[in-house]
Amino acid sequence: MTHKLTIAEAIEKLKKGEITSYQLTQDCLDQIDKFDGEIKAFVTVCRESALKDAQEADRVIKERGPEIFNEKPLFGIPYACKDNFSTEGIETTASSNVLKGYKPPFESTVTKRLKNAGAILLGKTNMDAFAHGSSTETSDFFKTKNPWDFERIPGGSSGGSAAAVAANMCIFAIGSETAGSIRGPAVWCGITGLKPTYGRVSRYGTVAMASSTDSPGPLTKSALDAALVLQVIAGKDPFDATSNPAPVGSYVQDEDSPNLKGLKIGKPKSYFDIELEVGVGKALNKVLEKFVELGAEIVEIDLINPKYSIGVYTILQRSEVSSNLARLDGIRYGNPRSEFGFEAKKRMMLGAYTLSSGYYDQYYSKAQKVRTLIVNDFHEAFEKVDLIIGPTMPGIAPKLGAAEQSPLFGELADMLQEPSAIAGLCGISLPCGMSEGMPVGFQLIGNHLDEEKLIAASLAFQNATEYHKSFPEMEAK
Amino acid sequence: MPAEITKDDVRRIAKISNLELSEDEVGVFAKLFTETLKYMDMLNELDTSSVEETYQITGLTNVFQSENVSATLSKEAALSNASDPVDGYFGTKAVFERE
Repeated sequence: MTHKLTIAEAIEKLKKGEITSYQLTQDCLDQIDKFDGEIKAFVTVCRESALKDAQEADRVIKERGPEIFNEKPLFGIPYACKDNFSTEGIETTASSNVLKGYKPPFESTVTKRLKNAGAILLGKTNMDAFAHGSSTETSDFFKTKNPWDFERIPGGSSGGSAAAVAANMCIFAIGSETAGSIRGPAVWCGITGLKPTYGRVSRYGTVAMASSTDSPGPLTKSALDAALVLQVIAGKDPFDATSNPAPVGSYVQDEDSPNLKGLKIGKPKSYFDIELEVGVGKALNKVLEKFVELGAEIVEIDLINPKYSIGVYTILQRSEVSSNLARLDGIRYGNPRSEFGFEAKKRMMLGAYTLSSGYYDQYYSKAQKVRTLIVNDFHEAFEKVDLIIGPTMPGIAPKLGAAEQSPLFGELADMLQEPSAIAGLCGISLPCGMSEGMPVGFQLIGNHLDEEKLIAASLAFQNATEYHKSFPEMEAK
Repeated sequence: MPAEITKDDVRRIAKISNLELSEDEVGVFAKLFTETLKYMDMLNELDTSSVEETYQITGLTNVFQSENVSATLSKEAALSNASDPVDGYFGTKAVFERE
């Protein structure tokens, strides 16, 4: 049953010799065997290499004892990685037929840092093809199901990673967010998802979507676990010119329950005025009460209506993606451009249109100016408050097939995450209860490079509540 | 903003995007783009006359590579996924023979 452990719990037990890394890895693989035929979170499972790495990890733990964890903080911990991170020699597809069969000749910085910290790769997870979506339904391969209800979507585009964590098929997972792709599936799958400040974590080796907002980050069973992973993957990377040279913070905090006295949490009117499902609204009110109980002060603020972010994000993302996917020529690597799916073609072409001569000013330039308004708006807000709180998604995970209802399904669903993503801020999604049998969550947004404050508030919340300890009861067919 | 994206617009965009579309797809995309771009009209409700564009939010400028050139891919590694390698080079369609 070790697959149900968190990173922190697993490390304690590994240090004491109560469990082995082989056991952890084998239990995760057994869980994958049992449930992934139904859930379909994984595109590739690296069974042999994972068990081999785990055996080696156990040998080293025996030889060097617990002090190995000072050097390698995630030693022996099995994880799943979204399939848009280049893993040398291991198929990396971004769930697209254009990259099917592609084996990168180099390693992404995120997976390299995790490897150096001793983490063990279990496999690559399903996603919306090229991350174009918020449902994982637009994967060119297959749809991933929500472990809480196999007839519902897990969210996206990091749906495979979120589902893998929620189903305890791994101890933690890696995803990426352009606008909502970590926080969204985290909420719909009832787990914790952290989107770091843009530039805090290197994008080198990730299949690019919107280069000015893409942010790799962890999907985990707790905020403490998210901190443990961020501590490993954050930091300047000479291979990524947009990675931030600011020193990495101390995310793994000593305090068992950080003191929130004096912490000002902004409650934006425009984020709460939108139509929320009743269950989400009720859960959020309880969250606000809890933060007050913990010593924080809720401050009423206002932010630009998030609906404008839909326009900004749609234009920005399509424009940047048209440029990024132009490099896929099917000559140096990958399959011909005729293999692109409908969603990818749609986005590339719309992006080419908004960047084209005659339309650049009214679309792309206008969107980037509205982006300035959003950035300035947050800047003003953070002069009054330390963090901002709000719903992540307006409702519980929809049924499979939801993405087909609207060409802007993702953008509409992610409306509350787009502003902070466009502004490059950090954000975390935390579970806060259930509604109609499905998990509900909320988000905290922090200022640039203020992950320490974000994590402190999250730790305090999770130390005082048990929501993050719920996992779905699944039945194997 | 144009009232409608025409099929000719879509064909032109497909060409500059280096994508081939079926006639059916051309029709579908024309409709979809018109719908999506109408939605973008809402951005005109905001006054942006006094702001400049934000292209990136890091504030970083002139990030240069260090003088010590690091290892790059070997020829073998670079060609490892090539669709049509020829004599140790990437093979492509002939340029001068294209219409």
